[in-house]
Amino acid sequence: MQIDQKMCDITVVHISGDITLNQGGDVLLKDKIQSLLQQGAKKIVLDLGGVAYVDSAGLGQLVQIHATTKNQGGALRLANTTKKLKDLLVVTKLVTVFDSYESEKEAVASFN
Amino acid sequence: MDARLQVTDSSGRRLVTLDKPVFLIGRRTAADLQLVNADVSREHAEITNDGMRYLLRDRGSRYGTFVNGEQITERPLEHGDRIRLGRTDAIELVFMTDGSSSTHISGLRDIGSDADLRQMAAILNGLRALGSGRVLEEVLTLVLDSALDVTKAERGFIMLARPDGELEFKTARGRGRITLPGTSFTTSAKIPREVFQTGESRIVGDLMEGNLAGMHDGTIAIGIRHVLCVPLNVNPMATEQNIKPHIIGVLYLDGRERTTILSQQTRSSLEAFATQAALAIESARLYAESAEKARIERDLLVAAQIQQALLPTGSFETSFVDLAASSVPCRTVGGDFFDYLDLGARGFGFGLGDVAGKGAPAALLAAAVQSNFIAQAPVSGDPADTLTRVNNALLRRAIEARFATMFHGVVDVDGNLSYCNGGQEPPLVLARNDGISWLEEGGPVLGLLPGATYAFDRVKLEPGDLVVICSDGVTEARNAAGEEFGRERLIEAMAGCHGTKPDSALERLFGAVRKFSQGTPQGDDITGLVLRYRGRPN
Repeated sequence: MQIDQKMCDITVVHISGDITLNQGGDVLLKDKIQSLLQQGAKKIVLDLGGVAYVDSAGLGQLVQIHATTKNQGGALRLANTTKKLKDLLVVTKLVTVFDSYESEKEAVASFN
Repeated sequence: MDARLQVTDSSGRRLVTLDKPVFLIGRRTAADLQLVNADVSREHAEITNDGMRYLLRDRGSRYGTFVNGEQITERPLEHGDRIRLGRTDAIELVFMTDGSSSTHISGLRDIGSDADLRQMAAILNGLRALGSGRVLEEVLTLVLDSALDVTKAERGFIMLARPDGELEFKTARGRGRITLPGTSFTTSAKIPREVFQTGESRIVGDLMEGNLAGMHDGTIAIGIRHVLCVPLNVNPMATEQNIKPHIIGVLYLDGRERTTILSQQTRSSLEAFATQAALAIESARLYAESAEKARIERDLLVAAQIQQALLPTGSFETSFVDLAASSVPCRTVGGDFFDYLDLGARGFGFGLGDVAGKGAPAALLAAAVQSNFIAQAPVSGDPADTLTRVNNALLRRAIEARFATMFHGVVDVDGNLSYCNGGQEPPLVLARNDGISWLEEGGPVLGLLPGATYAFDRVKLEPGDLVVICSDGVTEARNAAGEEFGRERLIEAMAGCHGTKPDSALERLFGAVRKFSQGTPQGDDITGLVLRYRGRPN
């Protein structure tokens, strides 16, 4: 899994690869968001366009970082979620937990 | 007078007899001693024997020939001379004569003990070759006793590096094959550390001499003055790919009297010995680790048996329903479970769940969710109430980012099915004429969201209707091409099963998954439950 980020008022984090237990992507993601929050980031957009697969551990972690961000007075929004991930969110009925947007641009705009 | 060369190179240490009037040393295959090294010329040097003495002559080699560190063109050899070819330390040649009266001033040479050490090295080598299951302590003791016997040192210690790189006493032996009591000993702290860091042996002839005394007060106080310390260097052969070259610790010998401890000969023999010892120690250590691994595997097998025992039997019937269920973990233990229970007037309760993750952590959580479910179901008003309670119970024992999905249904004698789906792959209801519907109403996965709300729905089952619940290991089972089994194939597999016995329907489903995946290893546990409503009993 790879993580790239852009920092300004709104932090956009690009993720590519799998978010899975086996490849440690879930922990990597958690550490990344935690360090962003420590640096004072409040508005975070997670661009998941490059994410091919999310397993249950990855899904759990997505919910976890969403809650952590909220608890610290911030907000986490998803952009570019793939069909596969959307289906997973629907089945697990977690789709209402997240604010998801079709593109990074829309997600960023939603903060203004 | 017979003479030999003791050759130490990457293939080990061996003795080569100088049995020809002109003995050629070089890189070419025709040489009497062929040495493969970039610093060795094709015809590097020769040793001639005129019956009186042995003469070493450089054959115009590119990088020169050295005796005891001095470059030579021609030099008569004496017992114990060290020959170096070129710049490399990778090859060491020591000239030895049999039955030579030692002319060395030290008088400390001891060919006998050298031979003993070589013999010990061979024994250790044998031990290792056998892949011996000897315990580490035994190997360490054997190594120290042999070293003490030969060097006549008084005390011997093996210090091995901990993961943090600090040396720690592993075994301490005294002369006469006794184990020294205690876990820490008065030795030099500096010498072992230096030997460990540099990989170079140290002989300290007298701790009182030079500037050393100040640093070794403790050691001198107990009268120890002479120290020999060699690295335990693991330098495996190419075939032993599971072991990497590294220094695992040091062998430390000391004593109050000057003994063979101080001889160069002892030192170089002990170095060779230490290399074998290091390998034997490392093998014993690896063996212990693999034994530990085997123990964990045994534990897991027992855990798997317990897990299967925690699940109810895979087939059950009441007067109005019957069911079949089965769970196949992808590892030894899995994170899926199913359970069912009689809820009296409310009917017959059943559930199937799947915990995020795999292996032992998932199995533990699965057991917790399952027991929670069984505890909560009888005291709940409806399936949504049950899952709300299970969700809260899991949140109270919050395990970060771990969650479970679960489907729970209750069917009464009239075929009224009420159910709640907590983030589980929707179960399928197979009605007459292959009519399909999905059981989707419910709430989010369990154990993640405080205050999550769960809803339940009701469906009327007719006699012969089947409820088919499976974990996502079924719908996400993959074939060699990476395709998923999916819901369409699930529907296909169930076609025509209306009214059939649950166990044959379940077998049909699992058979379809097997046929689809064609032996492709599955990444998830596969669990299924089929329930049939048989109609109101007469």
